[in-house]
Amino acid sequence: MDDNMKESNASTAFAVKVDDLTVAYNYKPVLWDIDLEIPEGVLMAIVGPNGAGKSTLIKAILGILKPIAGSVSIYGKPYKKQRSLVAYVPQKGSVDWDFPTIALDVVMMGTYGSLGWIKRPGAKEKKAALEALEKVGMLPFKNRQISQLSGGQQQRIFLARALVQDASIYFMDEPFQGVDATTEIAIINILKELRKEGKTVVVVHHDLQTVPEYFDWVTFLNVKKIATGPVKDIFNDDNLTKTYGINYKVSVQK
Amino acid sequence: MSSAQLEIQLIASIVAVACAIPGTFLVLRKMAMISDAISHSILPGIVVGFFITQDLNSPLLILLAALTGVITVALVERIQKTGLVKEDTAIGLVFPVLFSIGVIMIAKNANDVHLDIDAVLLGELAFAPFDRLTVGGTDIGPKSLWVIGTILLITIALLIAFFKELKVSTFDAGLSASLGFSPIIIHYGLMTVASVTTVGAFDAVGAILVVALMIAPAACAYLLTTDLKKMLGLAIFFGVFSAIAGYWVAHWLDASIAGSITTTLGVVFFIIYLFAPSKGLIAVTYREKQQRIEVSLLTFLLHLKNHSEERERHVNHLNEHINWQKVRSKTVLDLALKNNMILINNSIVSLTEKGDAFTSQAINYIVTNEDAQIEDMKEDFFLFRG
Repeated sequence: MDDNMKESNASTAFAVKVDDLTVAYNYKPVLWDIDLEIPEGVLMAIVGPNGAGKSTLIKAILGILKPIAGSVSIYGKPYKKQRSLVAYVPQKGSVDWDFPTIALDVVMMGTYGSLGWIKRPGAKEKKAALEALEKVGMLPFKNRQISQLSGGQQQRIFLARALVQDASIYFMDEPFQGVDATTEIAIINILKELRKEGKTVVVVHHDLQTVPEYFDWVTFLNVKKIATGPVKDIFNDDNLTKTYGINYKVSVQK
Repeated sequence: MSSAQLEIQLIASIVAVACAIPGTFLVLRKMAMISDAISHSILPGIVVGFFITQDLNSPLLILLAALTGVITVALVERIQKTGLVKEDTAIGLVFPVLFSIGVIMIAKNANDVHLDIDAVLLGELAFAPFDRLTVGGTDIGPKSLWVIGTILLITIALLIAFFKELKVSTFDAGLSASLGFSPIIIHYGLMTVASVTTVGAFDAVGAILVVALMIAPAACAYLLTTDLKKMLGLAIFFGVFSAIAGYWVAHWLDASIAGSITTTLGVVFFIIYLFAPSKGLIAVTYREKQQRIEVSLLTFLLHLKNHSEERERHVNHLNEHINWQKVRSKTVLDLALKNNMILINNSIVSLTEKGDAFTSQAINYIVTNEDAQIEDMKEDFFLFRG
């Protein structure tokens, strides 16, 4: 892990650069003047209390929400030009799992971006989707109707859908929400593998206890950015207190 | 069957197919009510279009009226966005206003416009064959057949071209946006198709039946399949079936064709609602009963596993201590015996090897919070289900 961090510190390439980003719902700011640089190859957690704007930040970076000010660049270019480099895993609860389709088909959706408008997925896309299902241990469930899957299995399907995009940067909105312990470990192992391959992974995360174990980079967010940097340097009571407002005592064991 | 009868059924069937396609996506997007709004609020568009073109089947009129439909959707979203009222309220605010503007316009110009409210609400399918399209003096069929046929061809072409985009933006708008398929563009595209179809079908079947033909076949199909393509196919089938069956019902009863088609749709939906193999009322009730017995069985087996003393394993103990009624205890005991999970000796119940293995595995799944696995496990153990 240390080697990896030295590398990221040394490199000047930022995977994601956010400049003066402000997002508002009905003129009420949810994110206020965010400046954020995410180095290439980190596995980063975004932490903060409910309503801190964690999901909003991801959605604004991906152009799903329109900011009222500020700009975002992915490897130095606007998101629109770099779509193929980015994969997104939305919150599991954001879709209707009663939608009439099967697991394999949901994973295939990950290939739509590279296909572009009108073109249909073929054998190559199907193979990629099956491989992604295999990687997350869901191959036996490929023909299962998606409403028949457990919460953990649904999350794995979403992860497989992101893997199939073969992106450089992965954004995940609470991938550990409502999953069992086995799935959580399976997911974090895949994320660590992605980092090993030099990919950048950004995760909205809720469980502060597991931050030092799972991640090497962290961003504290509560409407404004509080701090960002290596977990071992900045994951401390001071920043936690600043972010959550109450006196936090989750001291980090080294 | 006369050629007029054949033409009416053909028009009704094509309308049904043209409605079922956008209807399927409206149902999946939980936007069924918006089709109701569109079907009513296109009225002022039709009236204005009729002033200009003097022809109910003119393409210009169809485009003008469809534009009113899209404006309705935009207005609903605009009002909703203020956050002051919810979507259903916004729909309820917009379409009656637009509809009544249309009603007033018809009433004020009753002498000039050959439109009346009855025709608007119920359509005049019976008269459709009398309005012929002639090219160079030759009769090439009813005008409304050509209009709705053209609309259907365009709808099918769009569906084939943008099936993937429609699917992903319906299932997961966030992903769709991040992949570069703007959900807003797809949304308004779908709304435009729904509006054009509504206007095209309006003349033939009226405002009320258009809604029924969009929503009911898709709702039937939704209860029967878990595959989007099959859902589209089934929705088309139910639409066409109800259109033709409804026509003959009207023929026998000498009643309104539109009314009979709508009633048939209602009956078809009710039958499917009752008898659908996995989502129907009867199947769900049956499954719940099965579940209840199987949960009782598991509870009983756990009890046996936990107690080795004979007193706790006596058959009568079931009634006295576990607090089950006679019938239930008997059902559970029978099921356990049928599946070779227990043995009964002198009214003392004991687990068989198989019963023990089943129970241990079930406990294991419950403790590790993988309750869902128990359903799969039942397949491995049960000879007979509850």
